[in-house]
Amino acid sequence: MSGPPQTVSALRSLLAARFPEKLRKAGGEVAAGTPPLDEALGGGLPAGRLTELVSAAPSAGGQTVIARLLEATQAARQRVALIDAADAFAPDAVAPDLLRHLVWARCRSPEQAFAVADILVRDGNYAVLVLDLRGGAERALRRTPAATWYRLQRAAEGGSVAVLVQTTIPLGPAVPWRLVLGASLPLARTAAERAAVAEGLAVQTERSPAAVLEELAG
Amino acid sequence: MSYAVLTVPDFALHALCRTEAALRGRPVALVAGEGRRAKVTEASAEAAGIAPGLAATLAMSRCPGIILRPREPAAEAEAQRLLVAAAFTLSPRVESTAAGTCTVDLRGADRARTEALLRRHAAEFAVGGLPLRAGAAATPLLASFAARCAAPVLFVDDAPQFLAPLPLGFAEPTAAQAAILQGWGITTLGGLTALAKAEVGRRLGSAGVLLWERAAGEATRVLRHVEPSLSFAAEWSYEPPVESIEPLFFKLRRYAERIALELRAAGFVAERLALTLLLEDETDHRREFRLPEPGADVEGWLRVLNSHLATVRTDARVAAVRLLATPARPPEKQDGLFDTGLRDPALFWENLARVAAIVGDDRVGTPVPVDTHRPDAFVMERPAEAVPPPARAAVHPPYGPTLRRFRPPWDVQVACDAGRPARLHGGRLEGEVRAADGPWLAGSDWWKPEAWAAETWQVEMARGGLYLLARSAAGWSVEGMLD
Repeated sequence: MSGPPQTVSALRSLLAARFPEKLRKAGGEVAAGTPPLDEALGGGLPAGRLTELVSAAPSAGGQTVIARLLEATQAARQRVALIDAADAFAPDAVAPDLLRHLVWARCRSPEQAFAVADILVRDGNYAVLVLDLRGGAERALRRTPAATWYRLQRAAEGGSVAVLVQTTIPLGPAVPWRLVLGASLPLARTAAERAAVAEGLAVQTERSPAAVLEELAG
Repeated sequence: MSYAVLTVPDFALHALCRTEAALRGRPVALVAGEGRRAKVTEASAEAAGIAPGLAATLAMSRCPGIILRPREPAAEAEAQRLLVAAAFTLSPRVESTAAGTCTVDLRGADRARTEALLRRHAAEFAVGGLPLRAGAAATPLLASFAARCAAPVLFVDDAPQFLAPLPLGFAEPTAAQAAILQGWGITTLGGLTALAKAEVGRRLGSAGVLLWERAAGEATRVLRHVEPSLSFAAEWSYEPPVESIEPLFFKLRRYAERIALELRAAGFVAERLALTLLLEDETDHRREFRLPEPGADVEGWLRVLNSHLATVRTDARVAAVRLLATPARPPEKQDGLFDTGLRDPALFWENLARVAAIVGDDRVGTPVPVDTHRPDAFVMERPAEAVPPPARAAVHPPYGPTLRRFRPPWDVQVACDAGRPARLHGGRLEGEVRAADGPWLAGSDWWKPEAWAAETWQVEMARGGLYLLARSAAGWSVEGMLD
């Protein structure tokens, strides 16, 4: 039997070889309906995993991603939970037909949102859970204990729900996927069809399981 | 009722008896220490005249036939996992407080369902040899007091009335405090809390205030949540190894019960079971069973496992057994031709009730827009049981980025140039406007007292960001961000 790894890179390689399942998708994807996002994720939101979408600029398209997700999941007849930390979702901004499969929790704070997410992520009746933390006080969000994130991640891994976390700053300490919407939309885009707006969103991949694997391999 | 405490008195003893058939109904005592210094720490009800602290030699003379055993950490760990799994059926926020005790955050849980579940667990635990007691109350401390008094389940609604007759020892006074209070003639929690808290503090100091708060059940704390188990497996060993299969059946049931409860608490059922007999000669006998119907029914599992074990012949004695359940989601119910129903309706509605308890009844559900041009007009309705099929594509597809509302809208001062917004100031959004689109005039309900009219603008700020401005009789406001 070989001895313990002597270097950090050897330890990383050992971990990558021994726990490859931590770096793979749990099973299946849920199409988000936003082509740049789906392409970046390799097909859609990974089930059983957290995906963090950072809106680094105002009007970067995060809410349009939610609207398109409602359309895609309605077409696939999947149920969606939206946990809205800042109570900012506008039902009148999407077609009424796209709301019938939505369960919307209007929270008053990020703490409430995490408490609700902790319950719904274990439910099993939802295909997608959107945890929208935008609009919450940045300082309070940064103080969210890492254990809260790990708990959410562990709970997601135990089920088949795809969890999309929307933030304005990178928050999740070890999320498998982190994508960034970095550019504000110009006023001219208000004249374009929403599908075209979604197609034109600039999505950058900041972290992916493949990158983590490379990092672990040294 | 925000917290529940589940506890098993004499936990170490009952945990041991739970996994050894030979100890059931016999006088048993746990001992600590060796030789003449060995003393009884816990004794079963059958061990008449034996109390904790008694020397082991004296216990044997007082109760002939008594079985003296040391503590069994593996049995205690197994019983603790069972207790934690039972707690997770009540709420996802569970603390493994101490050996034989769990505290559960019940906020949002339905009381009737919680009480029914607790009574069911108490009955099932009793069959397995664990006398479960459960109490529910407004604070973790009060719930723990209730659990100690429960037979087997107690919900405390009137805390002062419940606490008044309890002995002072419940509040755990120090010896010095107990002596002083004894001198004052105070022997119950009610007697202590009848005194003014400030006066108790003046005479007994800050420790006295803390004691008073414990006596009133007021002391609260943050729970250290634990994660539900996601490995549905058990392994136990036999020392000495067993020659026949019969001894396996008893423990198999106990461990299967725990795994089944963990599966149910996590919303899973077992799809396959893997049973491994580890033999004395370091070989093993392994068999995997695909269950006829995925489920978490222990009797169904045991029918499959026992019928196989009855036919097993091994070349060596069995030293250990391993049982592993492969989890799967419960089979989906039959849907209607055009329906996509709930996978687990009971859990869905239960969880919605929990969420409602956190955010408010009127703040969770499915939003349904109201038939009006008034902005942000909608009602929250109960979610549909089935996801309806997609409607036909809209004749007029939606345009532009999606609105993200600020509730309430942000007040703002707007400087206009040639009638168009040019600069925002005096509010949460300030700066130059790069481009503006509008105005759009809207109004509704002119025939009602709550008549509404406004002009709206879409603006792009020079530093980036699209916003929806509204001007009404009350002035300018930022309605939200186009995102």
